[in-house]
Amino acid sequence: MSMKLIRHYTAALLMAATVLLTENVAARQVTDGIGRQIHVPDNPVRVVALAPSITEIVFALGQEQRLVGIARFSDFPQQALRLPQVGSYIQPDIEKIVALNPDLCIAVKDGNPRVLADRLESLGIPVYAVDPLDLGSIMTMVLQIGDLLNAGDRARSIVTEMKSRMDRVRERVMRAEHRPGVFFQIGISPIVSVGKGTFIHELINMAGGMNLCADYSAYPRLSREQVVALSPEVLIITTMHQGVSIEQVTREWSGWPQIPAVRDGRIAVVDSNIFDRPTPRQVDALEQLVRVIHPELFKDSP
Amino acid sequence: MTARPHPVLLRLAVVSALLLLALTAALVMGLSLGSTQAGLDAIIKTLLGRSPSEPMLQAIIWHIRFPRVLLAALVGAAMSVGGLVFQALLRNPLAEPYILGISGGSAIGAIIGIILGFSRFPGVTVMAFAGSMCTLVLVMIISSGQRILKKDALLLAGVMVNAFCSAVIMFLVSMTQDARLHNIIFWLMGDMSMTDLRQVGILSAILIPGFILIFCLSHAMNMLLMGREMAISMGLQLKTITLTLLVATSFMVSATVSQCGLIGFVGLVIPHLLRMVLGPDHRVLVPACILGGGAYMVFCDLLARTLPQQGEMPAGVITALIGAPLFIILLKRSNR
Repeated sequence: MSMKLIRHYTAALLMAATVLLTENVAARQVTDGIGRQIHVPDNPVRVVALAPSITEIVFALGQEQRLVGIARFSDFPQQALRLPQVGSYIQPDIEKIVALNPDLCIAVKDGNPRVLADRLESLGIPVYAVDPLDLGSIMTMVLQIGDLLNAGDRARSIVTEMKSRMDRVRERVMRAEHRPGVFFQIGISPIVSVGKGTFIHELINMAGGMNLCADYSAYPRLSREQVVALSPEVLIITTMHQGVSIEQVTREWSGWPQIPAVRDGRIAVVDSNIFDRPTPRQVDALEQLVRVIHPELFKDSP
Repeated sequence: MTARPHPVLLRLAVVSALLLLALTAALVMGLSLGSTQAGLDAIIKTLLGRSPSEPMLQAIIWHIRFPRVLLAALVGAAMSVGGLVFQALLRNPLAEPYILGISGGSAIGAIIGIILGFSRFPGVTVMAFAGSMCTLVLVMIISSGQRILKKDALLLAGVMVNAFCSAVIMFLVSMTQDARLHNIIFWLMGDMSMTDLRQVGILSAILIPGFILIFCLSHAMNMLLMGREMAISMGLQLKTITLTLLVATSFMVSATVSQCGLIGFVGLVIPHLLRMVLGPDHRVLVPACILGGGAYMVFCDLLARTLPQQGEMPAGVITALIGAPLFIILLKRSNR
């Protein structure tokens, strides 16, 4: 039994090697977003997006016809829901990925397990990893993926548009006289905020706010007491739960009128997807933030 | 010597053959089923190595499922034998590495190893071993000196140490604020989804000598069950044997924990079932646990990756769902 298994295994290995060789004929060598040298097909036609953000970017580039599989929770745009899912980005289903016979997988460094990339590559499937850390590297990532999927022009026009919209935000924010203290809450319970080194921290700064949790790093957990002590002027809450209304959130905080944001009714609920995902839609998030943090700047020119 | 084979040898051969059959069936099922559906004839052809036309199915069955079912079989075997040895050494039918906190201790060691950035092998494995030895010593110290309630004292000490270990694990997990966090949580619950053959090779290099050693000591384990005085009077090196068995088992448990996390209750369910059917002779029970435990674990892992509609659940969830109720039943019966 075991000898037989070893024989079959060797046979399978040899076959995989031949498959690899034939597929590499029309390949080029590229450096991926985290500096690894990999071989990718010149014209990838069976792409698996291993994170919802990657799915969004491939759609934004107009290259969705290349997609054969996407990570679970890829819910934007709506058409993506029709594609086969390959498990969540933290717990991908390697068997489903291989079954889709992809010629390229695109992964995010932070989130997708490293061992997944190693396993896929040992099976002859190239994995291109990206590592978005801020708006600047989101633009780099869009250009890289555009390059990979032969959609460089579209990628460049997306980036140009992102830049000009960001410039408009900057100009508007320059007119602000005051940087309000912002407490940004991810989800309702427990109270988790954002520290420095996160996308949202950067967005708050660009939108002319002052992140009250800037002294923390990553995603700190705070008690209600700490939030009261920070006395935020603006309270922003993202939520992944469907059907959480502003009324519900306001009621949660209404017992603490000492907080300026509660007293002045400056509580906002925003869509977590555009804030959490490193995609061009973070510019939407930025524009939304400016309206929440500086409503006075929109009085004359909405 | 007469021409008739030794009765124990005969029983051993029959039992091993039957359980080997069960293990083979479980392995074939594990190779055939998964999140990708394929026709039965295509699977059979691929299993027999006769379908060069389907490289994709080949890759899924031989590169993804094959290392995984082998790992599951090894883990199940190690956990079952671990339980069997602990039950004999401590003369307590409820002893098991997971319940006594030995697995928890090695998990702490392994997590510290992961946080410190050690490689899976040998760094994390050695840390896991150190952790398991610490908890073992701790459990023995807590439960010693209370001879009247020996059985309950040991169990209580185990429960306490286990609870403490869980707390330390949660402490360590909440202190790590990075992307590895989720991986640690899945790994803790017994994750085997990313197994490759190298991992299987390392684990079998550790476990198979362990299996052989324990099988060689199976007769001594029979003696131990008859009581200390009896064992000493029959010329047994009590201390040496106990120590060898304890260290070898803890090392095997640590190796499996560092490879695929906490998988509980296997060491309880399998030895008990087999003891009920086969009787108390360890010369038969040790190989039976290796083969039967392997088959059981392959089956649990199969459930873990086929039950959920999306993705998969950790195998440790399945083993605990089956094992914990059984543990309660056994506890009730043993108290009667």
